[in-house]
Amino acid sequence: MEKLLAILSEIAPDVDAATCETLVTDHLLDSLAILSLVAELEDAYDIRIPAVEIVPANFNSAHAILAMVNRLEEA
Amino acid sequence: MRYQGALFLLVFLPLVLLAYKLTPRRGRWCVLLLASYIFFFSISGKLLLWLILSTACMFACGMWLETVRRDGADAASKLAGEEKKAQKKKTDRALRGIVACGVILQIGTLLCLKYLGFFASNLNILLGKIGLGLQLPVFRFLLPIGISFYTLQAVSYLVDVYRGTVRADRNPFRLALYMSFFPGLMEGPIARYSDTAQSLYDGAPLTYRNLTFGVQRMVFGLFKKIVIADRLNIAVKEIFEHYDTHTGTVILLGAVLYTCQLYADFSGIMDMGIGIGEMFGVRMPENFRRPFFSKSISEFWTRWHITLGAWFRDYLYYPLSLSAPMKKLTARCRRRFGNRQAALITATLSLFCVWLCNGLWHGAAWSYLFFGMYHFFFIALANITEPLTGKLLARLHIPTESAPWRLFRILRTCLLVCIGELFFRAATLTDGLRMFGRIVTDFRLPTELSLGLDRHDVVLLAVAVLIVLLVSILGERGVDLRQRLAEKPLALRWGVYYTALLAVIFFGAYGTGYIPVDPMYAAF
Repeated sequence: MEKLLAILSEIAPDVDAATCETLVTDHLLDSLAILSLVAELEDAYDIRIPAVEIVPANFNSAHAILAMVNRLEEA
Repeated sequence: MRYQGALFLLVFLPLVLLAYKLTPRRGRWCVLLLASYIFFFSISGKLLLWLILSTACMFACGMWLETVRRDGADAASKLAGEEKKAQKKKTDRALRGIVACGVILQIGTLLCLKYLGFFASNLNILLGKIGLGLQLPVFRFLLPIGISFYTLQAVSYLVDVYRGTVRADRNPFRLALYMSFFPGLMEGPIARYSDTAQSLYDGAPLTYRNLTFGVQRMVFGLFKKIVIADRLNIAVKEIFEHYDTHTGTVILLGAVLYTCQLYADFSGIMDMGIGIGEMFGVRMPENFRRPFFSKSISEFWTRWHITLGAWFRDYLYYPLSLSAPMKKLTARCRRRFGNRQAALITATLSLFCVWLCNGLWHGAAWSYLFFGMYHFFFIALANITEPLTGKLLARLHIPTESAPWRLFRILRTCLLVCIGELFFRAATLTDGLRMFGRIVTDFRLPTELSLGLDRHDVVLLAVAVLIVLLVSILGERGVDLRQRLAEKPLALRWGVYYTALLAVIFFGAYGTGYIPVDPMYAAF
């Protein structure tokens, strides 16, 4: 989780990513930030994130992002 | 038949409600389907065939995708290791091929019917300019109502089935209802199968709450459409059709009035459609969220025509940004410029495609293309200059959350939106540029200004716009006005409903002296 929070704090420094549950629905992560985040996640976790995964449910909180990353690592 | 017409409101809708009520729950969706096809036929007649073809193609592709996926999974389950991987790849390739066929058929039909004439006539001009005698035939087709909206719904369904986020519907008639549900047929909202389909087929009972909430929303929509938009049409028509006789300040006023008209018209029809859906217990997506409180053009498009913006985001922007060539480009740019700049380059390229398509989606004309590029320019500019703006504000000690700064951003966005809408409404791009030219060069105030509206119209407009503004401000502050109203005593509640209804009947811009205005977005 620390690794993910560090990435998020770089991309959205003003957001408390550890507790926020509405990163996308409250527009705290815009589409540009999500593209940056996807690139960082792909590098950091050595995964490929397809477009189908880019839904608010997968990016609304750090936990949701981590769950997606874990799922893609196992696939 | 139009949503705001007497035939629809006093005959069609009550009859559908009655038939729905009298039909057993299991068959209620059939009533909605029949009503939707009658509604479509009353507007587009035999062009209903296009809708049926589109639905049939969508159904066939959906089933084909489902079958190939199932067979592929069955075959893979019997294999192991490399063979299993190869089988999965084979299935993926087949699925991609099917979804591509389905999408090409849907978009291809739209392109042929809507854009063939535009492309052919422009190509003829080009061929003439370079001295070739060749002239292509220019076909102009009649467009079935709502084709731009239901095509996007069909594509979203196919892509969702391909992605596995929804299961293919095994009943073509149920799918036909998703494509044609009459409250959203003319202007959307562009519904997703996963959000709306189930509530369409449920056949929810007509409850007191659903009916009152639905009527409440419908009357407010009717108020926006008939009292504000149709009345503003008089002044807007005068300014845009005779702009050469008006000063720049009046033309700017025309752009503002047109933006108000478009909002009142489109969001009014949306309120009516969503309200009617609510009566039948059908949940339709919201299409507006107080757009004139946006602080940037980018935010504006998350509040205005929300379902179109979301469609382009999910089915074009992200797939394009995350496609293999774009990812390669991003990786190359990351090594050279860093993560943010790389994402910015990819995002800007994808944004360009999105706004090109968004502009063209609105219509086959250069003014719509310009409209798309205009918004692309401001969104891309804001993205590119964001770090610089942040530093500048910090240096100037301007608190970004302060009320004056927020107000400045809101007003700036409103002005940019109004100028964009000027090009959108202008008869041609040349007219739009001439009008804009006048705005920035002719600052004279008019000596006399009537624009076809009398004092009574102006006072009514001012009061009506104020009411809508007040409702928006309360909404922006998180006040659920509809729920609050529903909790008031019966007499007060119905007093408000009747007053609103009477206001529409007495102050609506219809009858002698007014030109009936069709829902504006139905033309797109």
